[in-house]
Amino acid sequence: MNVIETRQRGEASDGSGVGGRHSRIDGRLKITGGATYALEHRLENLTYAVLVPSTIAAGRMTAIDTKAAEAAPGVLLVLTPDDDLGLATASDWFGNRAEGSYRPLIPEITFNGQAVAVVIAETLEQATAAASLVKVTSEETQAIAGLDDPRAGEGNLVDNLTVSWGEAEAALAAVPVKVEGEYRTPREYHVTIEPHGLTATWEGDRLTIFEPSQWTHGMARSYAEWFGLPYENVTLISPFIGGGFGSKATASFYGALAAASAKKLGRPVKLAITRPQTFTAYGGRAATRQKIALGASEDGMLQALIHRGANETSMVGTWVENTGAATPLLYAVPNFSSENRLVPVNTVTPGALRAPGKNPSAFGIESAMDELAHALGIDPVELRLKNHAERDPQSGKPWSTRQLREALTAGAEAFGWSRRSPEPRSMRDGHTLIGWGVAIGTFPVIRAYGEALIAIRKDGKVEVISGAIDMGQGTYTILAQTAAEALGVPVDQVEVRLGDSSLPGAAVAGGSMLAGVMTGAVHKAASAAREELIALALNDPNSPFRESGANTLAIANGQIATPRGDGPAISIAELMARIGRDRIEVKRDTLPEALANDVGRMKAWTTMSLMRAPTDGDYSMHSWCAHFVEVKVDEDFGTVRVSRVVSAFDCGRLYNPKLVESQWKGGIIMGIGQALLEEGLIDPRRARVVNNNLGDYLVATNADIPDIEVISVGVPDPHASVLGGKGVGEVGIVGVAPAIANAVFHATGKRVRDLPITLEKLI
Amino acid sequence: MTDRTTVHLEINGRAEALDIEPRVTLLDALREHLGLTGTKKGCAHGQCGACTVHVDGERVLACLTLAAQAEGRAVTTIEGLAGPNGELHPVQAAFLEYDAFQCGYCTPGQIMSAVACIREGHAGSDEEIREYMSGNLCRCGAYPHIVAAVRQAAEELTAQKQAAE
Repeated sequence: MNVIETRQRGEASDGSGVGGRHSRIDGRLKITGGATYALEHRLENLTYAVLVPSTIAAGRMTAIDTKAAEAAPGVLLVLTPDDDLGLATASDWFGNRAEGSYRPLIPEITFNGQAVAVVIAETLEQATAAASLVKVTSEETQAIAGLDDPRAGEGNLVDNLTVSWGEAEAALAAVPVKVEGEYRTPREYHVTIEPHGLTATWEGDRLTIFEPSQWTHGMARSYAEWFGLPYENVTLISPFIGGGFGSKATASFYGALAAASAKKLGRPVKLAITRPQTFTAYGGRAATRQKIALGASEDGMLQALIHRGANETSMVGTWVENTGAATPLLYAVPNFSSENRLVPVNTVTPGALRAPGKNPSAFGIESAMDELAHALGIDPVELRLKNHAERDPQSGKPWSTRQLREALTAGAEAFGWSRRSPEPRSMRDGHTLIGWGVAIGTFPVIRAYGEALIAIRKDGKVEVISGAIDMGQGTYTILAQTAAEALGVPVDQVEVRLGDSSLPGAAVAGGSMLAGVMTGAVHKAASAAREELIALALNDPNSPFRESGANTLAIANGQIATPRGDGPAISIAELMARIGRDRIEVKRDTLPEALANDVGRMKAWTTMSLMRAPTDGDYSMHSWCAHFVEVKVDEDFGTVRVSRVVSAFDCGRLYNPKLVESQWKGGIIMGIGQALLEEGLIDPRRARVVNNNLGDYLVATNADIPDIEVISVGVPDPHASVLGGKGVGEVGIVGVAPAIANAVFHATGKRVRDLPITLEKLI
Repeated sequence: MTDRTTVHLEINGRAEALDIEPRVTLLDALREHLGLTGTKKGCAHGQCGACTVHVDGERVLACLTLAAQAEGRAVTTIEGLAGPNGELHPVQAAFLEYDAFQCGYCTPGQIMSAVACIREGHAGSDEEIREYMSGNLCRCGAYPHIVAAVRQAAEELTAQKQAAE
């Protein structure tokens, strides 16, 4: 079932405008090895930097001996906390800037793996060898290893995350049916297959950074501020990104080190984070725990929900992984209370990983709803439909669009849910226990602003130019489709240039917002370019349309003609030749008038301060989904295999269903890994993540993944974005892990409340 | 370690002589010394498969192979897979058609593995493809589309072979 129709807004006659299943326009480069990722730009005179990590988790470095490293062959420079690099503090995400200097290396150690030095040499091999020669002396103190460390305590309440209405405690005490449980998720990591890193190079006071980036403008700003440069002196280039999932949106200490080293040496520096360092050079998803109590009447109507959540953060930074993010949104409940705490431990500061907050939040509430369904003896799909929220329970605002009922119904139908036998352990095939589970998910629509430049060339081709990025979501392709449709040219006549901070502005590719932001900007700019082209065709003395008497013209399939087809019809290239134009450029942004100035633009492109919350305005806007999962569990060994997944999504209008389906499936697959495999294991003695490699930190492989069916039940949402789409990239993972946990319960009768669901928890 | 060695490789049909340290891996030789960056570095531990190339026609992890180990041997990378006029190999074409990738970073390794997987006779069923393609991690989660692409390419290559016989 797909209710999305291709909208022929322009007259793109090749059927691949917005909504078409066009293959990736950048695909050929990626399948031939021609796509150039950040560490692959060739520079003359290149040098190589390697980080030296701390082997203790807490304490103070008292001495660092770099003599042996400095004497090693090929070594050019060693930087330690003793070196003042003369950097200034950069602004935070919201554009707030503290006074003072910035030191990317410091002697105070707060986590195992914290970089204490960087070694730069002529070759990668020389730098790697020399890095092992740096000797660190420290005074070690006792570390708090993680959320489960008894010394970590209960943490500090996060005031602005406290949500309540009604009388939750009293209502819970009065209900006939209640369930309570504590749900836990471990540290999880992005595991982008392209590790992080950069090449930095200077020309005078101009800095060029080649670095994988989810936000070229925001990261360029950090570099400019660190080095006291005008913003336009920094160019951050990132045409291809080998996976981000939230981890490549911020300039980081190692970027400052590489750029400072390049400046000192007067040579370009390449710094590649090694795979083990990807577990400590930046943070993964924080470990979480949450207690949930649900109370319902006997007919299954929710009466009370109490949620108490906590996540770990670092000793020096604040990361909120809000386990209450989805909790108030999913169901109509008259009495609600949620509180969240932050627990500082000796870790790198955690960060955003696909659907931050929403993901662990859904694991809690959607596991608890399954427990409640079992306690009530009500089918889990029916229980969810029964408690459907007609409006946003927290803000009280109406949903912009919410096809969640449709998702549950269509998903159940396609899955064959009606054939489920309700009792746990009631479906089996020999020694294999079979379980079916369901869970729902959500992700907010975040709105922001974008800017695009459209150029019409004399050869009739169209360029779309923006500093926005494509890390696999399909930005190149959907922006080509958008411009093609608005202008009336075939998609293959459109070239898209992205991933460069010197190009027009864009919001961060995070929060599933970029497609909505940038299709809006490109649509606006391309429509204006079309108007300009038509105006030239009607008014230029050398245009064949000047005497046509028409007051507008039609452009379709790259041909420009009078609307009734009774006048001349020529290609755009021919028109450009006749009117003697080489290039027509039109730049437009989507900023409101009050922000359409230099200060507003700088804010919009380089900070997150203008992002609009899902409830900003008259509506509450979110994407929705329902996952249906079949697992097969070996009764003797407790091994779990996911054997079938059907998921139905409401993400509004889809700009390119072929690429959307890939992203949905990718989210589901990451969710399968989260449910069954992924866990950062911490050595309690040294507070070190011991499985810091891809052989020990397990992510899903091809053999772990069954066929996955995805269904779109969305309708265009005119409030969410210009073209009617809602966010796609993150919602796919939300609800997958609880659907699997619920299926495992159905198969085995065992409720696993802490991820991942490994065999020792089942036998 | 400052000793240097000269390594002779035949890369995508072209003879190359490299003056490098003996500890340089085949992967770094390709990427850092020859500018052939289509072969990707994901882990440098032989755990992700992004660096998969063919040495004498068999799939090999270039990060666990010293360049010197490939002395005198024929190395094929993703850059050498398409035809002389740029016509895509059936595996490449199927990857594009089935959207068997997103970010594209694991893709060259997946494609080199897939070509070998088909040649080895390990693409007989979806189950078999999943198993023999599991040495190549894809974090974007393109696995079902990779299986579809490999199946399609295997059928096409088998048909081509039969037509030639």
